[in-house]
Amino acid sequence: MKKNISTLKLPHYKSTASCQAVRMAVPKEVLLPMNMHSGQEAVPIVQVGEHVTVGQLIAREEGRNSAPVHASVSGTVKAIEPYAANGRKTTAIRIESDGKQERCPDLKLPQPTNLDEFLQCVRDSGVVGLGGAAFPVWAKLAAAQKNHIQTVLINGAECEPFITSDHRVMLECGELIQKGIELLKQFLQSEEYIIGIEKNKPDAIEALTERFKDDPAVKVMPLSSVYPQGAKQVLLYNATGKVVGPGQRLASLGVIIINVTSLVKMAEYFATGMPLVERIVTVDGSAVKEPKNLIVPIGSSVRDLVEACGGLKSEPGKLLFGGPMMGKTVATMDASILKATNAIVIMDRKDAKKSEPSACIRCGRCVAVCPLGLNPTAFAHAMELENEDERAAILQKEQVSLCMECGCCSYVCPTHRPLAENNSAARRFIRGWESAHKEGGK
Amino acid sequence: MTVNELIMSAGPHIHSDADGRRIMLDVILALLPASIAAVVLFGLQALWIILTCVLCAVVSEFLFNLIARRKQTVGDLSAVVTGLLLALNLSTNVPLWQCAVGAVFAIVLVKCAFGGMGHNFANPAITARVFMLMAFTSTVAGGAIPAAVDAVSSATPLDLIGVEGAELPSLMDMLLGLRGGAIGETCILALLLGFVYLLVRRVIHWQTPVIFVGTVFVCYLIATGSVSVALYEVLAGGLVLGAVFMATDYTTTPITAEGRMLFALGCGLITFVIRRFGSYPEGVSYSILCMNILAPWLEKWTRRKPLGGV
Repeated sequence: MKKNISTLKLPHYKSTASCQAVRMAVPKEVLLPMNMHSGQEAVPIVQVGEHVTVGQLIAREEGRNSAPVHASVSGTVKAIEPYAANGRKTTAIRIESDGKQERCPDLKLPQPTNLDEFLQCVRDSGVVGLGGAAFPVWAKLAAAQKNHIQTVLINGAECEPFITSDHRVMLECGELIQKGIELLKQFLQSEEYIIGIEKNKPDAIEALTERFKDDPAVKVMPLSSVYPQGAKQVLLYNATGKVVGPGQRLASLGVIIINVTSLVKMAEYFATGMPLVERIVTVDGSAVKEPKNLIVPIGSSVRDLVEACGGLKSEPGKLLFGGPMMGKTVATMDASILKATNAIVIMDRKDAKKSEPSACIRCGRCVAVCPLGLNPTAFAHAMELENEDERAAILQKEQVSLCMECGCCSYVCPTHRPLAENNSAARRFIRGWESAHKEGGK
Repeated sequence: MTVNELIMSAGPHIHSDADGRRIMLDVILALLPASIAAVVLFGLQALWIILTCVLCAVVSEFLFNLIARRKQTVGDLSAVVTGLLLALNLSTNVPLWQCAVGAVFAIVLVKCAFGGMGHNFANPAITARVFMLMAFTSTVAGGAIPAAVDAVSSATPLDLIGVEGAELPSLMDMLLGLRGGAIGETCILALLLGFVYLLVRRVIHWQTPVIFVGTVFVCYLIATGSVSVALYEVLAGGLVLGAVFMATDYTTTPITAEGRMLFALGCGLITFVIRRFGSYPEGVSYSILCMNILAPWLEKWTRRKPLGGV
């Protein structure tokens, strides 16, 4: 029997849903960090002063789950400098644009003939999980070398408030979605392609249902508009009834999940030869004058996007990369748009304010709302314990490592306790504790 | 637009409108019909009891925090709720000084001594009432007859059920509260009004009160075979007041939905056993207190298997 996964009904704030993506004017310069993907940093291969063209490889992948970086504007490399605006410290390549957007002459149309060649092409495209995870897409698809992938789950849920970039992609890039699915059919030979879309995007559901009406392998699946519908475990369960067990990988169930924009960007590479150099970004929030969906070169600064949206209408309180549930705060408007930046939300000072937490009243709302059935108050109590072994024992028993930090618990807490923040601290603690004890045991 | 003006914080960056203080305010509002009914039925003395309990609860919490140098918490309104609940559980036979002692006991010994709101293991109002029942048995046990009723006997319906030849109030009188008892427990209609309000405001779930009251009803139906006895048992005493307002206390009941249902079931069974076989006519307070102690275990036994976990 199928269980009912606990979810949240959030306000949608999707005011940009009907805003067709518009191309932003080419920025004066871009700043491309080397850690726009989840794995090891890329390594710059250009020199300061060098002339580069759009799509030119400027940093090669290096090590585990890395991804290459390509120039997103044509112009001159101005600097290779330290960068930390998005949290982790890294290096970034600053390119001054010549405004010509000259295409790199070396780009060729990829023509793979087998799975290995296909994966290499995807690898060269620089496409990573564009819904926010930033995990290299080729590494995800490489699971097909070991397991037969029966089902490809295309994630178009877009459950975070404000964000409509995937929505626009589904409306505007139907052809590329089809092309992407054809590629996967050819090389992964999966039997089933499910496009999961929340019901708050009826136009996207309609358009894609129409497009694939003659293809029995592709199923457009309307999902209820609840948060976090697009989370891996939630989407997987609601779309297929499957659950990734402890220590198990998604691919071992014969399933991979790929974000719809990632699929489109991958297909675009095979259609045009142009690697990932630009993407669609939703710009919204109470401080933004004219919320929009913009197509921008990767590495553009937030400032450029804000300007393209008519500037700010009130003093900014918080700048978010991503939506208001799982998005990360960034301290400066000079930060770069990364590959996985699907939205910029700028809240005014009033919206950015948080209430002071008070004592837990044990109302149980956090337990009732957790999509995974975890107990956030138990994690909070454990983290108050002085004894680290006791703390670890409780956290292990309560399985804090399953937490996906969706933020539902914090959202519903009537005493405004920072439960999600505590969960991630608890996860960090248990990772550290476990690795320390593994070494100690040897 | 300088760097340090932007706030850095962990997510999520939006919040539901749920608020602890608002929840307490909702409970107070939900108790308002019963409080008004208490004054209408039992006269001004009921008002003095309510004011005494609430005032003593709030002042003692304020002073405790002051002396213990803890963060001031009277603003969260939970002391008001405790005082009000205690008052509604007392009859007009109880002198005001005893009410004051009870309120101070509830706040200082049951709540604050364990660390304040969220940390006490037993319901403060219930525990204080049980304490008063032992300390001031002659005034706290039994109930006064409402001023609005022609006094035939000062015994409450619970004392009368099963006594041969005793004249019970009509079921309509029981619903309206025209019977002896504690000031806030008799007017069932007012309590149900509060119940509906709490449901609409999503402060409590329907399961706990319904299972608690339902269990008592079913037990009596099986034991006596009489629907009317079972109905009297449900309407009499502090069952509805306890089931709606005290068995649903967040802090002292399990945090899991399944745990709360078991909690309610246990409350119903214990109430039945005490009322039917015990020497006390009333068992609601004891049943909730017993189950408060079991709550952590119920919580443990009803732990869900997380999705993707073991």
